Amino acid sequence: MTDVKQAARISGMRQFKAILKKDIVMELRTKEMLTSMGLYALLVLLIYYIALSQAGRGFDVTNIAGGLLWLAIVFTSLLGLNRSLVHEKDQGCLDALLLAPVDRPVIFFGKAIGNLLFLLIVEVFVTPLFMIIFNAGKYAHGISTWGFVGLVLVVGSIGIAGVGTLLATMSVNTTGKDFVLAVLFIPIMFPLLLAVVAATWAILIANPDMAVYWKMIAVAGGYDVIMLLAAYALYEFVLGA
Amino acid sequence: MKQIRIALWMGIVGGVMTTVAFLMSFFTAEVQLFGTVSLPQQIKTAYPLLGTDATGFMYGRPWFSQKIFYFHVPFAEASFLVFTVAAYFAVRFLMTKKKEYDTSSRVAMEVALVFVVLTLITGDLWTKASWGVWWEWEPRLTTYFIMTLLMVAYFVLRNSLEDEERRAVYASVYGIMAWITAPISFFITRVIPSDHPVVFKSGMATSNLLPFIVAQLGMLMIGYAVYVIRVREEAMRERLDVIKDSLEG
Amino acid sequence: MAEPYQTDNALEVRDLSRTFGARKALDKVSFDLPKGAFLSIFGPNGAGKTTLLKVLSTLTPPSKGSARVMGLDVVEDAVKLRERIGFISHNPLLYPDLTAEENLEFFADLYCIDDPKARVKELLTAVELDHRRLDAVRTFSRGMIQRLSIARSLLHKPDVIFLDEPYSGLDPHAMDILDSLVAAVRAEHTFVMISHDLQKGLELCSHALILAKGKIVLLDEREAIDPDAFAATYRATVGLGVS
Repeated sequence: MTDVKQAARISGMRQFKAILKKDIVMELRTKEMLTSMGLYALLVLLIYYIALSQAGRGFDVTNIAGGLLWLAIVFTSLLGLNRSLVHEKDQGCLDALLLAPVDRPVIFFGKAIGNLLFLLIVEVFVTPLFMIIFNAGKYAHGISTWGFVGLVLVVGSIGIAGVGTLLATMSVNTTGKDFVLAVLFIPIMFPLLLAVVAATWAILIANPDMAVYWKMIAVAGGYDVIMLLAAYALYEFVLGA
Repeated sequence: MKQIRIALWMGIVGGVMTTVAFLMSFFTAEVQLFGTVSLPQQIKTAYPLLGTDATGFMYGRPWFSQKIFYFHVPFAEASFLVFTVAAYFAVRFLMTKKKEYDTSSRVAMEVALVFVVLTLITGDLWTKASWGVWWEWEPRLTTYFIMTLLMVAYFVLRNSLEDEERRAVYASVYGIMAWITAPISFFITRVIPSDHPVVFKSGMATSNLLPFIVAQLGMLMIGYAVYVIRVREEAMRERLDVIKDSLEG
Repeated sequence: MAEPYQTDNALEVRDLSRTFGARKALDKVSFDLPKGAFLSIFGPNGAGKTTLLKVLSTLTPPSKGSARVMGLDVVEDAVKLRERIGFISHNPLLYPDLTAEENLEFFADLYCIDDPKARVKELLTAVELDHRRLDAVRTFSRGMIQRLSIARSLLHKPDVIFLDEPYSGLDPHAMDILDSLVAAVRAEHTFVMISHDLQKGLELCSHALILAKGKIVLLDEREAIDPDAFAATYRATVGLGVS
């Protein structure tokens, strides 16, 4: 009887990197998620044009720019989150992950950070496009404005990716899939979205209100911390069901 | 059976109390004043004459729509209380994986949903009566709207899952996340910059806490009664299912 | 954390129950299985076979009772246990867009295997897929996918291998390949297989188990089994359980 065991020093870091790498390699090969998310975002921009088409040429979109941008991001991320988890479920791969000696939180972080990365990439593509098309950056004060906008995008995306990964892991097992994800996602994200839209608005207006900006960033950051802790703690239960 | 009896009694008492509170709010509670109304001549009335102006005599205007408060606030508080109970049972379920806790959690959520919807309706009636609009995106109404959506989402999630145990786990997880989100929502709606007026502070004279308290207790009792009866109903349904299964054998 | 104790049994199941509310997927199941055995589990749909496998492979915890695999408890020593079990299912558990090599390297990383590249090459050669290692799995035939799946499950040199209806959907040629691969590692490993194929299951096994409604209907060593009587019992059980 052989008792030759693998001298397996289980390294969470190695496993985490493997999960992340796998998602990136898959995406680079198929470009499926990025292209569909990118295309979806463009379609949303088109719909915005339609919605604003009767608003008149001089229409100043500044006050609603933050909202429009984040709306596009929300819909795009719903698409991306769903697809990311469908990949796992399709061939039963999530089971394979669960059968391996991987700590459940490692799976959570691996998937969540992968999703965050894809979301950020799409944002880098869509945000400048949005700014240009709708002349939303007309009060911009050079690089610093974009830096601040970038910060809001990162803070918001962290919340979306983290909580979204948890919700998508559940919704992918339902009979409603994307519909269920949207129904679960939007009310939970509501506080975060209010905060990041306010912060984006504060930066884009003619006289940026930095007090409001930082306050909103702090609130959004607080949301991120609380909800990510909750998601992290609860993910184990979701995986075990 | 004893528990059901108690629950039934509480339901009846609760119903009586709520009705009493309703009557009290109209007959014994002091009518609040809000602004003035001018009449061309003096009339005999309980409301004070506050002065005269160009159009006539100014009397304190009775604020009847404020009475909705005696119900709106208790509904709101009851709904959050029952929501907390649902979240508590969700946590217990995740810890023990016992089906009874999930059933309790779900039934509590149903009761909470009813209260939340009632809160929204009464709040809506109030804004219409006082401000003339059917809806206002002010902090409290918005938060309760979100709470409604969160609870509806909870049931959508439950209905979209076949596997019983998975359904229970997922629902509990979402229920807990929703419960955390609700107060954050409330906090955030007050903190974001907006030019909405603070639509109401709870305009209640402290000397009129009585109908309010009676209403609150009455509602909680009704809520409890409904909850207990529903949980029993679910337990019996479960037993019926088991018998059905074994007959199919 | 309990120390794994020395035992000659690959499986030790004691009063294992898996219930939710009033529904019982597994009802006080108890049995032992010595190391090196091959257990075939039969039973109608809904009998609890998959649930039993899930509990033994640490995917689901028991509601009551306990189970030990290779001396390790499925709940307390779950992480350690996962290093020592392999799973082959009718689902390939592979990522279609990655190449064969990438798939295996990914799992090698998950199991934290030393010298992953060498091990991956070794296994690809063993399942005769080395020439296709740079091809995406979505281009593979069902038989090739199954072979790769076996390679995946052997990466970490598990002691116990669970098979969940591995033959379903395979053509005869693929079945032969699967047979020979299993035979190649038959010694030194313990197998637990769910199968709907009565003949195949009996042929391969050293022990046979019939489950119905979460309870053991029959458990015996192969030598003690009379094939016809067994078939009759099996048909009766399947007839019973199907509603």
